[in-house]
Amino acid sequence: MERDGMFLQQVINGLMLGASYSLVAIGYTLIFGVLNLLYFAHGEVFMVGAFVGLYLVILGGFDIYVALLGAMIACAAVGALAFLVAVRPVAKDRPLAPLISTIGLTIILQNLAIYIFGGQQLAFPETIGQQLYHFGPVTVSSVQLFILAVAIALMVALWLFIERTRLGRAMRAVAESHETAALLGVDVNRVVLITFILGSGIAGVAGVLDGVKNSSISPFMGLEAAVKGLIVMLLGGLGNVPGAMIAGLMLGLIEIMSAAYIGTTMRDLFSFLILILILLYRPTGLFGTRTAE
Amino acid sequence: MLNRLIDAYTQSILVFTGINIIAAYSFFVPFKTGQVSLGQGGFMAIGAYMSAIITQKFSLPFVVALPTGGLVAAVIGAAVGFPALRIKGIYLLLLTLGFSEIVEVIILSWDYVGGAQGFRNILFNSHTLEYVVVLIVVLIIFLSRLERSSLGRAMDSIEQDETAAEVIGVDVVRIKLLAFSIGAGIAGLAGALYAHHTTYIDSTTFNIMLAVEILTFVVVGGGSTYWGPALGACVLTLLPEFLRTLRDWLELVPIAWTNFFPMNRVYDFLHEFLDFENAKRLIVYGIILMVMMIMRPDGLITRDSLQQLMPRLVEQLTEARKRIARRV
Repeated sequence: MERDGMFLQQVINGLMLGASYSLVAIGYTLIFGVLNLLYFAHGEVFMVGAFVGLYLVILGGFDIYVALLGAMIACAAVGALAFLVAVRPVAKDRPLAPLISTIGLTIILQNLAIYIFGGQQLAFPETIGQQLYHFGPVTVSSVQLFILAVAIALMVALWLFIERTRLGRAMRAVAESHETAALLGVDVNRVVLITFILGSGIAGVAGVLDGVKNSSISPFMGLEAAVKGLIVMLLGGLGNVPGAMIAGLMLGLIEIMSAAYIGTTMRDLFSFLILILILLYRPTGLFGTRTAE
Repeated sequence: MLNRLIDAYTQSILVFTGINIIAAYSFFVPFKTGQVSLGQGGFMAIGAYMSAIITQKFSLPFVVALPTGGLVAAVIGAAVGFPALRIKGIYLLLLTLGFSEIVEVIILSWDYVGGAQGFRNILFNSHTLEYVVVLIVVLIIFLSRLERSSLGRAMDSIEQDETAAEVIGVDVVRIKLLAFSIGAGIAGLAGALYAHHTTYIDSTTFNIMLAVEILTFVVVGGGSTYWGPALGACVLTLLPEFLRTLRDWLELVPIAWTNFFPMNRVYDFLHEFLDFENAKRLIVYGIILMVMMIMRPDGLITRDSLQQLMPRLVEQLTEARKRIARRV
């Protein structure tokens, strides 16, 4: 009974961790889907979201919902800007050029944050009343429930958007082929811009949730989120949005389980070993990929 | 010998520029066969730790440690490169990134080399600059010869079209593996030189941002000729240093020129603006990267620009190449 309780508790913790991985990876995979390029600055957009959220809470005195909304809007704007200055003007036929220009943007965003906020960790204040709920042997905090609820609501909304709306259909068409979509009357540039806005907005929410979860944020939080997001994108299949959602939860589970039962230093080792095994034996990810290589 | 001619600060900048050039070449060799690696930081770490173990734990001289570090990195490079042959493009990029991270985690949890505390008190090599200069000269000679050799042209053909290269009888597997392994070995040498210059390394010294930086050197300098990586490494390493000195130059302007309106305002504004602390310098660096990729996506030097720069030389080279081609 004691062991079962511990196991269930780890499952909950893993899902919690995984939910934020999913949110970051969704943006990656959306952008990869429509552009077929590795967009490096996504982790920093996530970081910007956390800082916008923190400032809305501390300086504005707003509650967490306003902070989430504000971070979403601010990050959507950053994402649109990123597309307009670092992706669109760069030649598409050289795969490394957009990678380098978004690396440039990554460096700019990170150092702008260090310049404005300083290079230290900042405490993220408590915005949700800390309350513990006991379900049998499992203990869940109100913060964990909140994070999971927001993440799932966002993912469901996004999935509905992609599958049920005209714009979502246009996005899927562009992901299949730019030329065909353009021939069928889709404004490709506009769709790509909207994809950046969507993906970045979600990353902004993920940033705030990460601040709430860890009670602290720093200008360096983007890199780890970026790397984990990339692994999840790959695990779920490049360009596959539901794949990224499930893969994020899976990676969270795997990390928490390996930390709990094998050892904390092995946690990162495991995620990268998985990355390498997937690359070698199932490069299309666990759930198939939308883009042909 | 060089110690007496150059002051310590300049020497240190030159050493780091040189190590960056070597690291850029370590990326360039596999890149010539179309393999884009984000693992060069990991190979540098292997060379650095291996050589530091040899000089510190076995008390052997640096002359022994340097090639051993390079060799071990090359062997591990072959081991990583072999499974990596099956994949390319973004998949290879992610695979090598994963490799780098695994190296970082292993170093972090390996107490023999200091673990999280880092590897301390590594033997200081006072002749790093000489080693670096010699190694760069050797690399440039090697690469210039490679370009004219049948191996070099086989590498080019693999980069252009792997299937076509295979069809005309190029041993794609062997050459790609060789290039990846040589690149890893060069990175190992760069790491060994670095460790014995700074005398302290830890798991974050060779992190993923370093690998990204190395990739940036080559793409910004230009990946189509062997001059590109060296130029990119020079420009991007010296650029932040250059930004630092801009304000010193501004202060050289005679006071008589700037003590009246509106020049005093302009001067004050510039003086304020050029106060380049670290974060601000890196912001400028990022902007330059972005602008570079928009203006010159092929890098600073390309084969075409070389041709415009030195038409005679290139003419002779192509002449020579044709002669060799006829012979082969």
